[in-house]
Amino acid sequence: MSSPKAAAKAAPKAARKPAPAISAEPSKSEKAAFLKAMMEGIKPGSLAAQKSAAKKEPGARLLGKVPKTKASPAPKAAAAKPARTSAKKAEGAPKVEILRKISGAAGVARTPESERAFALAKELEAALADGKLDLIQPPAMQALMGALCKVYSANEDSGNRYPILAGRAAVTGTDVMIVCGALLKAVDLQVFELGMWQSWAGR
Amino acid sequence: MAEQFVSKASEFKDGDRQIIRLGEQEIGIFKHEGKFYAYSNFCLHQGGPACEGLTIAGVKEHLREDKTSAGLYFDEASMHFVCPWHGYEYDMFTGEQVADRKLKLKKYEIVQKGDEVYVVA
Repeated sequence: MSSPKAAAKAAPKAARKPAPAISAEPSKSEKAAFLKAMMEGIKPGSLAAQKSAAKKEPGARLLGKVPKTKASPAPKAAAAKPARTSAKKAEGAPKVEILRKISGAAGVARTPESERAFALAKELEAALADGKLDLIQPPAMQALMGALCKVYSANEDSGNRYPILAGRAAVTGTDVMIVCGALLKAVDLQVFELGMWQSWAGR
Repeated sequence: MAEQFVSKASEFKDGDRQIIRLGEQEIGIFKHEGKFYAYSNFCLHQGGPACEGLTIAGVKEHLREDKTSAGLYFDEASMHFVCPWHGYEYDMFTGEQVADRKLKLKKYEIVQKGDEVYVVA
């Protein structure tokens, strides 16, 4: 007598179908069908043809543009024609794949004031290179430096923060120390006061 | 060598770059001051994406007569691009590595036909 539990276990086993045997080699008919498909290439109107067309024309929807080829009752002739036309199209089609587009910083439009500032900076740098240190007279330098301090500070306060120099190589460390020291002296500030303010203000 | 369509010229603004794949090659195409330059995107150092890094004017140094330094400056006449992996710096006009001009990135010719840009590869 078998128990009900054993019967329940045995039932699904009996209901299971034997797994299909995996043959190591395809049959002759399968091989012939595969070879035939390889020789024929992509059949017009098939899903493969639609996918191929969609790749060539990314804008075209999958079921929209299928290469139009006449269906012929003779399979060999029909397969040969579309293969040649698709090969011709592939020759003319771009093979380039765009991986990335990187926008340049030059895309930012410069205001006329910025252009004038660039021109002045260039002129000053050129004069310095030629050894002309007095291109800008002291009152003009003072006015320019004062205006630059105010504009940069106002931008910083309003949240429009950006590095004050274009890069580390733009000026030397000595230049920076000389100018910072002169600015602090001009407004009667000591270096420790700057340090205190920076620590209080979290700058 | 065949011309391969890349893009519309109007899609390239000055300073823009495009990285394209052409077969097994990756090419970086630059537009700088109205001219196109194209180089292999594989850095000569360790194969990094050479054309995808910073573009920066060449840094030069003013020297006084006694050969002491009068400061560094950006030379806007020369433009470099820098591989983002280890900082190999290349001349945008020639593809030469700036520190050793014997090393050169492979250069590709760019042909512009009307509003269309082609790379010759």
